[in-house]
Formats: sequence, C-alpha cells, structure tokens
Amino acid sequence: MALSGMRGLSVFISDIRNCQNKEQERLRVDKELGNIRTRFKNEKGLTPYEKKKYVWKMLYIHMLGYDVDFGHMEAVSLISAPKYPEKQVGYIVTSCLLNENHDFLRLAINTVRNDIIGRNETFQCLALTLVGNIGGREFAESLAPDVQKLLISSSCRPLVRKKAALCLLRLYRKNPDVVNVDGWSDRMAQLLDERDLGVLTSSMSLLVALVSNNHEAYWSCLPKCVKTLERLAKNQDVPQEYTYYGIPSPWLQVKTMRALQYFPTVEDPNTRRSLFEVLQRILMGTDVVKNVNKNNASHAVLFEALALVMHLDAEKEMMSQCVALLGKFISVREPNIRYLGLENMTRMLMVTDVQDIIKRHQAQIITSLKDPDISIRRRALDLLYGMCDVSNAKDIVEELLQYLSTADFAMREELSLKAAILAEKFAPDLSWYVDVILQLIDKAGDFVSDDIWFRVVQFVTNNEDLQPYAALKAREYLDKHAIHETMVKVSAYILGEYGHLLARRPGCSPKEIFSIIHEKLPTVSTSTIPILLSTYAKILMHTQPPDKELQSQIWAIFSKYESCIDAEIQQRAVEYHALSMKGATLMDILSEMPKFPERQSSLIRKAEDAEADTAEQSAIKLRAQQQASNALMVTDQRPAYDTQAVNQPGLVKLPSMSNVERSNAEQGATHANGALTVIDPQLPSTPSPDLLGDLLGPLAIEGPPGTGPQIEPRLASDLESGANADALAIAPVEEQTQTIQPICNIAERFRALCMKDSGVLYEDPYIQIGIKAEWRAHHGRLVLFLGNKNTAPLSSVQALILPPSHLNMELSLVPETIPPRAQVQCPLEVLNLKPSRDLAVLDFSYKFGTHVVDAKLRLPAVFNKFLQPITVSAEEFFPQWRSLSGPPLKLQEVVRGVRPMPLSEMANLFISLRLMVCPGLDPNTNNLVASTTFYSEGTRAMLCLVRIETDPADRTQLRMTVASGDPTLTFELKEFIKEQLVYIPVPSTAPNPVPPPNPISPQALPTSPPTAVSDPGALLAGLL
Amino acid sequence: MIRGVIIMNDQGKPRLIRFYEFQPVEKQQELVRSIYKILCSRAENVSNFVKVDSLFGPDVRLVYKTFATLYFVFIFDNSENELAMLDLMQVFVETLDKCFSNVCELDIVFNFNKVHTILDEIILGGQVLETSSSDVVMAVEDISKLEKNSNSIIPSIPGWQGR
Repeated sequence: MALSGMRGLSVFISDIRNCQNKEQERLRVDKELGNIRTRFKNEKGLTPYEKKKYVWKMLYIHMLGYDVDFGHMEAVSLISAPKYPEKQVGYIVTSCLLNENHDFLRLAINTVRNDIIGRNETFQCLALTLVGNIGGREFAESLAPDVQKLLISSSCRPLVRKKAALCLLRLYRKNPDVVNVDGWSDRMAQLLDERDLGVLTSSMSLLVALVSNNHEAYWSCLPKCVKTLERLAKNQDVPQEYTYYGIPSPWLQVKTMRALQYFPTVEDPNTRRSLFEVLQRILMGTDVVKNVNKNNASHAVLFEALALVMHLDAEKEMMSQCVALLGKFISVREPNIRYLGLENMTRMLMVTDVQDIIKRHQAQIITSLKDPDISIRRRALDLLYGMCDVSNAKDIVEELLQYLSTADFAMREELSLKAAILAEKFAPDLSWYVDVILQLIDKAGDFVSDDIWFRVVQFVTNNEDLQPYAALKAREYLDKHAIHETMVKVSAYILGEYGHLLARRPGCSPKEIFSIIHEKLPTVSTSTIPILLSTYAKILMHTQPPDKELQSQIWAIFSKYESCIDAEIQQRAVEYHALSMKGATLMDILSEMPKFPERQSSLIRKAEDAEADTAEQSAIKLRAQQQASNALMVTDQRPAYDTQAVNQPGLVKLPSMSNVERSNAEQGATHANGALTVIDPQLPSTPSPDLLGDLLGPLAIEGPPGTGPQIEPRLASDLESGANADALAIAPVEEQTQTIQPICNIAERFRALCMKDSGVLYEDPYIQIGIKAEWRAHHGRLVLFLGNKNTAPLSSVQALILPPSHLNMELSLVPETIPPRAQVQCPLEVLNLKPSRDLAVLDFSYKFGTHVVDAKLRLPAVFNKFLQPITVSAEEFFPQWRSLSGPPLKLQEVVRGVRPMPLSEMANLFISLRLMVCPGLDPNTNNLVASTTFYSEGTRAMLCLVRIETDPADRTQLRMTVASGDPTLTFELKEFIKEQLVYIPVPSTAPNPVPPPNPISPQALPTSPPTAVSDPGALLAGLL
Repeated sequence: MIRGVIIMNDQGKPRLIRFYEFQPVEKQQELVRSIYKILCSRAENVSNFVKVDSLFGPDVRLVYKTFATLYFVFIFDNSENELAMLDLMQVFVETLDKCFSNVCELDIVFNFNKVHTILDEIILGGQVLETSSSDVVMAVEDISKLEKNSNSIIPSIPGWQGR
C-alpha cells in the first residue's frame, strides 16, 4: 500500500490495542484528548503534519465511541490548507464528524466553492466529495450551478464528473429547485449518452432520484435507458474493468432498470420491444453457478429484471415465466437466492393473475418455514401471509399454528399476530375462527395481545349462531390444567355472557361453571379479577330461579373484594353486590352486551398501516399503494399521472334522477356525480366525527371489560335514584355518528376505469365494488363484483342503473343481502345505440346497522369503449378525408387551454383512448393523424378520422379536425377528444384544487347550473 | 441510498464506521452493538441478509459478509438492490486486498484513515460512485503520490488528461 503512514497515529492505536480493559482504554483516550486539546490551544507550535495527525486521532477516538467535543474548528480549518495532504484530511474528517447543520460548515462554504471552481482537479474531487456527503441547503443554493457545470463539462476528467453527478444528487435532495426541470431534462438525456461507465453509473443514480420525483419531465431519457441496458446486456463496448465476474457492470444494469421502474409504462412499441427482448435475455440466460460472487452479480441483475417485468406487467407470458423462475429459486441451495426468491414472490402477489401460480409452490414455501436461516423463515412467513386467501386459509393458518410450538421466540409474536389476522380475514366459517384464536391463546398466550381476544369476543357477541359454540369451547379449555391467563379472561367473559346457553349439558350448570372459573381466581393477576367479578354477576343473573347457595357464595366473594385496594375491583364488587341484591331488576342491567358497532379490525388496520408506511421509495411499492387492497379483488390500476380534478370541464349529462331522488337532493341528503350520501337517521346534522382518528386508535373495538365500568356505575346510581326505566337501556355504542367515507377518490377511480377494463369502482369500509368489462363492437358486458368486507351481512342492497338514452343496459338480479365476507357477481349487459358522451350512473345503496349508504357512481361505459383502433394507409385515408368535405360531417375547431404535452405524449394518450395514431400520413411533424372505428347500433361500424395540428410555439392551443360519416358522431368525437386534451392536470403533490364535496351539504353538480346540464356544447363553451 | 458502512471484528470491536446520514456517536455505538448481537448469533452457510426493522425502521436492509475475523456490513434502504450491495462489498474488499496486498484485520486497524480514503472512492453520499476496483486503486494511488509530495504545492493537473 502506497499511502503514507503516520508514526504517532500508529503508536496511539497500538496503545489502545494493548489496553487490558475498557477502563484502561478510557484513561488512554482521555490522556490523548487532553494532549490534543493542549496542542490545539497553542496552535503556533503546530506543524501541518501534527495537525493532520491529531485530527486523524480524533476520528479514531470518535470511532471507538468517545464524544469528541472540540477540535472541529481545526478539522474544518485544514480544508483551507494549501497543501494536499492536510486539505485531504480536513475534508475527510469534517465529513465524518460534522452534521450538515454544523455552524463551522457554513464558514467553509467559500473555501469549498473555490476548490470546486478552481482548476486543480484533485481539490475539486475533495470538495465534491465533502459536499456530496454532508452538503446542506446552503451548499445547494450557492454551489449547484458550479457542480452542474463540472458534470456537463467536456474538459473535465470522468473522475471529477462522476463525483459531480452524485454531488448534484445530494444538492437536489436538499433543495429540489436547484435542478431546473426545463433546462435540465435535455442535459440529463445527453448525459446518458456517456461512454465512460463510471460517469454513466453516477448519472444513472442522479436520474433515478429525478424521475422518482417527476418522471413526466424525463420521458426523453427512457429510450436511452433502454439503449444502455441493451449495450450492457449484450456486452457491447464494455471495458474489462467494468466487467465483474464476467457480468457487465451489474450495478449499472440494476440502476438502469430501477430508473425504468419509475416510468409508468413504455408506450413506444419499438422501445418496448427492445426492452422486452433484453429482459427476456436476462431471464433466460441466468443460471445458478458455483462461484458465489458471480451468482450474486448475475442474480442482482435478474431480480431487478423481475421487478421491472412486474412493473410493466402487460406481458402475461413473461409473468408466468417469472413465477416459474421464482419457484425454482426458492428451492436452490444458495441461501441468498432462496431468500430473494421468497421476497420477490411476495412482491409478485401485487400483480394480477399470478396468485394461482404462486399457490402451486405452497408446499415448498411451508418447508421454508423450517429453513435453518431465520431471515429466510421470516420471508416465508411474510409470503404465506401475503398469499393467504379464502381458498388456502385453513391450510396456511393451521400450518402456522403447528409451527408456533417449535418456532423461535423471536418470531412467535409476529407469527401469532399474522395467524390471528389471517384467521379473521379469511375464515371460511366463524367457528373455525374461534377455534384458531383459542388455540393461539393456548399455545402462545404470552404473544397474544389484548386486541386479538377482544376481537374474538366482538365476533361472538355479534353472531348469535356462534355463541353456544364459543361457550362450549371456552368451557372445554377451562378443563385443562394450566391455562394461560388470557384464556381465563376470554373464557370467563364468554361463559359469563353465554354460559347459560349450555345449561343442559353435563358439567355446565351455573354452579359448575362458576366453580371451574373460580378455581382460576387465585392464579390470576389484578387485571383479570374484574372480569371474573363481572362473570359472576352475570352467572347470578342468568340463574333463574335463583340458587340460594350459589348466591351466597358469590355474594361472599363480592363482599370480600369490597375492601380491595384496587379501585377497579373494589368498585365492581360494591356495585355488583348492590345490583344483585335488587333481584329481578338485575335482569335488565346485566343482560347480554349489545352488538358491537362494526368496525375494521384494529389488527387488520395495523397490518395495513404498516404496509402503507413502508412505501416510501421503492417503485414497486409505490405501485402497490396505487393498487387497491387485494382482499377482494386484485386490480391493475393505472398510475396516477392521469388523475384529474373532480370537476372536469366538459362535464356530460347525467341521467335525470327520479322525483324521489330529487326531493332527497333538496333535503340535502343526496348528491350525484360520484359523491356519496350518508343518511344517518339518528343525528343527521352532526358533522362527522374524526372517524379515521377513531379507527387509528390503538384499539378499534371497545374492549368488553373496559365498557363495564363506564356504563355500569352510571346505571347503578341511576337506579338508586329511581330514574325511569327508559334511561336504563344500555347506551348503545352505535349512537356515535359514523359517516361512511369512500376509500380513495371516486372520480379518480372512474377516470382510471375509463382507460382500462378492470379495477375498483368504489370502496368504503364496508363494501368494495369492482368492475370487469369486455367490449365487442357496440356490445359490452360488465361484471360488478360486490364484496362485503365485514363480518356481518349487508342488507337492503340495491343497485339501480340510470342509463342515458343512447345505452340499453340490463343488470342481472342483485341480491338484497350480501353475506359476511362474500362477493357476489352481477353481470350487466350494455348495448350502444348511437354516439353520445352521456354517462350511465349506478345508484347503489345498502344498509349497514342503522346507516343507509347511497352512492351514485358513474359507470365506465364511456364513449371510447365503443371505439376500435384501425390503421389506415395513405391510399385509404386521403380519399376519405377529401370526400367528407365539411360540416356537419367534418368539423374543425381551434382548441385553447390545452394541457401542454409533447406530441409523443399526446400520441400515447390517443392510443389509450383507442385511437390509432398513423405516423407518416401528415408530412408536418407537429401534426398528428389518427383513425378509429366507432360502433353503435345506429351507425354500425363507422370510420372516424382525426387530425391535430399543434403549434410548437404555443403548446396550449391546437387545431383539431374530426371527420366521420355521421354528423352526431363527428361532433361527439370532437368534444370527447377535446375533453381529454383540455383537462387541467392535478399535480400529484399539490392538493386537489377542488375541495371534496361535503357529504352533507346540499350540492348539485359542482360545475354546472341545471340548465347547462342538458347542453354539453354550451357547457363546454362556457368553460373554455 | 446506502445509509452506512461498518467494519467490525468478530469480537464486536468497530474497525470502521461510516454513516451517510448523521448519527451521534452514542447512537453509532448502540447500532454497532445491536448489529453485532444479531450477526454473532448467525450460523455459517446462511443468507447474507438480516432483518433490522427494529434498529432502523421498515425498508432498511442490511447485508453482511464475513472475511476471516471481520464482519463487513452495508446498511441501505430499498432503493438499492440487495445483491448489488453484496457485489459492491466484494469490490470494496477486493480493492482493500489490492491496496494492502492480502489485507488482514491489522492492516485495517492501523490504516483506518486509508480505508476511509478508499471507501470515499467507492461510495459518495450514500450512492455507488465507482464499481471498477482497478479504477479505485488508480485513484487511491494518485492520492498517495500527492500525499508523499507533501512538501511541494501540487501543480494543477491539466483537465484534458484522460485515462
């Protein structure tokens, strides 16, 4: 090693190594710190060499874990030393010891800047490294232009430029404004043409950071990324030093594919084809070999390719190939690959249609639960958790329960939580659920949180059929010798409430139940005793006619605890004693607990929160977030770049509502256009409480023991004062108002469904409505999937289609009740009679408890669904174009207020609207020509031609010409395209400019006065 | 982003600690101790990944590798590819091996400052800077030449000089 050593430093390190114990080390360090402090004080006698030596010692001491609270100034001051060695030490130690907000750092900005703009490239490197490591906002503001200059400079060596790229990345993170999007996106694209792979790697990291924030601005980089990937994957022009174990720079390949994952799609067919060729090559050409390093490198690339395929997921064929590969990986010898195989399978679950293929590997995954490596066992658990659904829940949960007995302690908590969640989510029947939770408590009581047993109590309370079964099970567990305290709690609670249902069975008389529960009392802690007291009171209440002996036994217990030091126990004992003296009146007060309000399980909530929290940076997770929960239906939603304001201009007619609905609207209860109505008969005018906050609370259900003391004392005192019996009705928890809010913006969901054929139309805490559609010519077949997310049935379900005049729609029968956790499918046939942009609305309502939810949902049976893209050649196009010579068959309009977009993006938009873009027909490259066929019963198949002339100087306006053989069609198509072009995009980060409609206040269509509704043309004109 | 690089020996003594997000010294020590506790309980022939949610929060990953008496540890978030991080660690170790010819723990102990210099040529601000071990060795050799000439002010190197 050529680096020069320092004797003083070596001696010090030796001394430290020779210390026998921590105490000696501390003494030696203190001595050295004292020495350094003194030397720094009399700086005069200090040579640069000595200064350098002391600063290194400081860093060493810092690494040993001692706080070095002085000498920072000296470290920083070395930065301005004229000679390289001191300067270098100054830079390195400063960036290790100081944080970005340190005051001294500000003092150094000028020196650092001078080094960056100076001509000495070794100094430039040092300065860039410091700024790249700890530069803060102020550095960003004063240095970014200089750093940019170095990065794009053609006279700089790669050594400097690659550092400049990463330095700029840091500054961009500190202040995104330093990279001016307009100017920089072209530069960025140029940087990707770089031949030097070092600079290219750094630039690619920079690109990843930029596109993760704003991919729109960097579309031009996409084809270059694909080119880079091709160059590497085909090993073209890759220098030897960048070939790592025979693999052309795996890092750059990985980074490039990472960058590509931030683009929502690859639209250009040629680029797409090349990309898939490369991906195919990577997927096929990677084998597990002997050399570990080579394996790691080739699989790094392979796993990234998998992630990219998942992201682009269109190619179903490739997808199954991926699952097949992963299936192979999870059983190989190489543990890293097993680990990543399981992890990637878990990610793959986000993608539509592969769950069934993954399920084929269930046995192997279960085997992985017994892998010698805990990291792999954890992955297997995650995967089993993720792939679990109604079809395999029984197998998986039972496997987890079995594993629980042998699992290491580090995993038991997670295991029991996951088993509990799965059992709840996918229980094929509720008695099975009760079995699982009781087994869980029995096997791993220490790891079963209160949430879990509260939840089982809630289920039992809300389902009468379940009560005798649960009571019987609880009774059985009490026969065991040593049972966990949680088991005592849950069985005491259940038997208190429902023990009387067992009365005729042997061993289940009130007395027997009492004595077997009472046996456990000496073994339990103070927190359980109140529950037992409640149980005794309930047993007493259910014993009719009263059993004197039992009564005196229980009263004796109550009086014993009346002087208990624990206030909770004391209060209960006193109150139950007093209440039970009242005889028959007791019946009313201690009758069964009312049903709990249906809420999302706190467990599931927690699990979902944990999943959402982690979605920060990874592209794949970002996608996962955009996708709806797969509890009922997995969908493939379009990324949010085509989101839209709720009130898009050019709003189209909605079918008129019936009179009843109108009167509702006048009362301020209903309003249309995707907004949602909640009619709460109890407290109609109360603003909704913070429902979310409530759900996010640590417990989503009121724990049964908790409600006791809150309600009962009040009742007791009411009773004493002789209050009238009406006041005695147990205060129903349902009285709290709950406004049911849709999950995610309905307008966005609708908008997404206009572009694709399956997805979620509507979701709230109780129901999810999914849609799958097939379109053939002027026919359409939609299937509505109505999924009840709850454990109680949804009743009074009504789905009414309000078709516009141009659509014949026929919805098959919708059942009035949706059973708990069930999904029903309702096919809907659509026939398109004539061209129109009017919308069909689904008026959907159901009742849950006392709430009536009524949602008016626009259905994605929209204009473009009846289009079929068609390619026309110049020979076909021009005669047609000429023959349709003018209005009303050919309409022309100058459209202003167009959302500015490059022509390529406009072409993509057209393709997604099912208009075929025909390149080459128009010689002017600023123009775009498209063709499509429209189908309706009236027009049959009719060819439509579109020409867009854009103005490169002003992208906000264009001239549009639309021609077809039917005047209405021409008009409607023109308006339709216009709507797509002019909408005001909602920036993804900015808040929605339109406040979400208040669910209670009366509101008509937000954008249109009633007169305008009937005339879309006038409406549009008004808006433009 | 790479959050940190740690080298420690099989006794848990740190040999190099480099965090790319500021961590106070006590926190650094605590992390080193916790990581050591996890690593020393791992058997041979298992994967190079461990779960560190409890230390760093979700989405942060850790890969490690043992070389003779040393643990090399990379901590990073999910914007990085796990296996690529292992590759980078291998590049780091191979570079150390070239610079110290058959590197051993003592080389790293007594030349911790040089290890810092080498690492700075491989990772910058938590991002991969250079993956070609020979390029790193070249850069480090240039630096040591400059260090030796500490008595003379360095003439600036002409900008056009390519590799």
